[in-house]
Amino acid sequence: MALLEVRNVNAGYGKGPDILKGLSLSVEAGKSYCIIGPNGAGKSTLLKVISGLLQPRAGEVALRDTPFHRARPDQVLAAGICFVPQDQAVFPEMSVRENLTIGAYLEKDRSVIKERMERVFEQFPILAERASQDGGKLSGGQQQMLALGRALMIDPEILMLDEPSLGLAPQIAEQIFATIRDLESLGITIIMVEQNAVRGLELADWGVVLDLGIVRFEGPAETILDDPRIRELYLGKTVDSGSGS
Amino acid sequence: MTDIIQVSIFGLLLGGVYALFASGLTLAFGVMRIVNLSHAVFIVAAAYVAYFAFEELGIDPLLSVLYLMPLFFLLGVGVYMTFFIRIEGSPRYVEMTVLLTFGLAIMTEGLLGWRFTGIFRQAKPSYLTDAFFIGDFLVPTGQFYAAVLSLVLLSGLWGFLRFTRTGYGIRATMQNRSAAQLVGVNVRRVSAISYGISAAFAGASGALMSYLFPFFPFRHWQWIALLLALVVLGGMGSLKGAVVGALVLGVASSLVVDQIGPGWGPMAFYAALFGILLVRPQGLFGKELAA
Repeated sequence: MALLEVRNVNAGYGKGPDILKGLSLSVEAGKSYCIIGPNGAGKSTLLKVISGLLQPRAGEVALRDTPFHRARPDQVLAAGICFVPQDQAVFPEMSVRENLTIGAYLEKDRSVIKERMERVFEQFPILAERASQDGGKLSGGQQQMLALGRALMIDPEILMLDEPSLGLAPQIAEQIFATIRDLESLGITIIMVEQNAVRGLELADWGVVLDLGIVRFEGPAETILDDPRIRELYLGKTVDSGSGS
Repeated sequence: MTDIIQVSIFGLLLGGVYALFASGLTLAFGVMRIVNLSHAVFIVAAAYVAYFAFEELGIDPLLSVLYLMPLFFLLGVGVYMTFFIRIEGSPRYVEMTVLLTFGLAIMTEGLLGWRFTGIFRQAKPSYLTDAFFIGDFLVPTGQFYAAVLSLVLLSGLWGFLRFTRTGYGIRATMQNRSAAQLVGVNVRRVSAISYGISAAFAGASGALMSYLFPFFPFRHWQWIALLLALVVLGGMGSLKGAVVGALVLGVASSLVVDQIGPGWGPMAFYAALFGILLVRPQGLFGKELAA
């Protein structure tokens, strides 16, 4: 049985057209997924639907075969699915420590919160150094580390990352990728939308190509990377220039 | 110089009370994006309760805070759950809150006018006309008590927001609503609690208004104009801004009254409002306005 299933989902914003058009996707426990596709394909929209930020117009999303597509974001999180959006993920007027503390908002055991925070500080020593500084005063890379660290505070079963390396210097992006690899080795299921598609697919077990609101191709990430048709259609620019999808 | 210090003391005491009056208004905007035009009429309604509790039952207005805060908290939660929850998803949410709270204000004013008429009221506890000296400076006892109580309540609110789980949720919602949802905050519940707290602070403010300022139902329009001015000065949604704005304007208006004349006091608020809108539209502690 799949851990997470998206079944024939249609979704869009306000009164606008459907961005997702009958999209279906099956996610297995412990695997990492990289979703690629052109702008407007519906990558971020898919993550918003799973996270509960956007209600689908049709279809359903199920965790272990239990539908939850009408759940609020806090209920989705309580079910073990954590979403780190691509921007404005940090609380700017809260200190780094407070940002991490609120990451464990659903956890009531203070000793568990403390233990997880220490683990995050080990993972990102720079956050420990800046523990008292406001989140809004960190650099872009540090804010991304904080957003990722905050997601780890809830100890998620599924972690969804929307463009985790967006706007980061290559060195910082590599640090983020290294952390994602660590999380994979811990058995956390990862669903990632990544603008550096080649790098994202190198990290992932499974690749999913979205276009015009549906899944065009999916398969082992290596196979997608090696498929000349997909390379030409969706990775061309990335292969040539090393950035953007 | 002595005169200026004396007037500034009056202004600070007054500003402390204004800060309490405005705190609920800025909290409602910060958490729920509600421009609450009915905040002042809630204060006036609470002032009537405290006034009659004093006149009929002999309950000191300062003690009225003890029952007015929980009573108005429940009232606030009820109002939020009845009215605001229905317009949550509206693309014109902020505009609709203006219309909704305007309607609430008119309706409540009408009810108060029908029940209590337009006669000026003011409770007169024994300490209202008392005063004491600190060095050479005169401190009116009633205003001093009110400022101290405001300080205690605002400190309590600060501590609640800073150190409790619900407080974390409220602050997170104020700073980034969607990110708050993503860390597990039930923003609807937090919004209802915040509106309750906002109303509870209106209740406490009413207790102070009942003896500090003569009031009648229509008076709330003057108050809401003044409170909006100082909330905009401090930065909409910023508690720190509301407190600083209230203290600054309390002192400024007292100085204007002393130097120019009593009729010019309110002008200090609006002059400061226009000034801040020209040079820093987001207010002293507000965030940059989106383009």
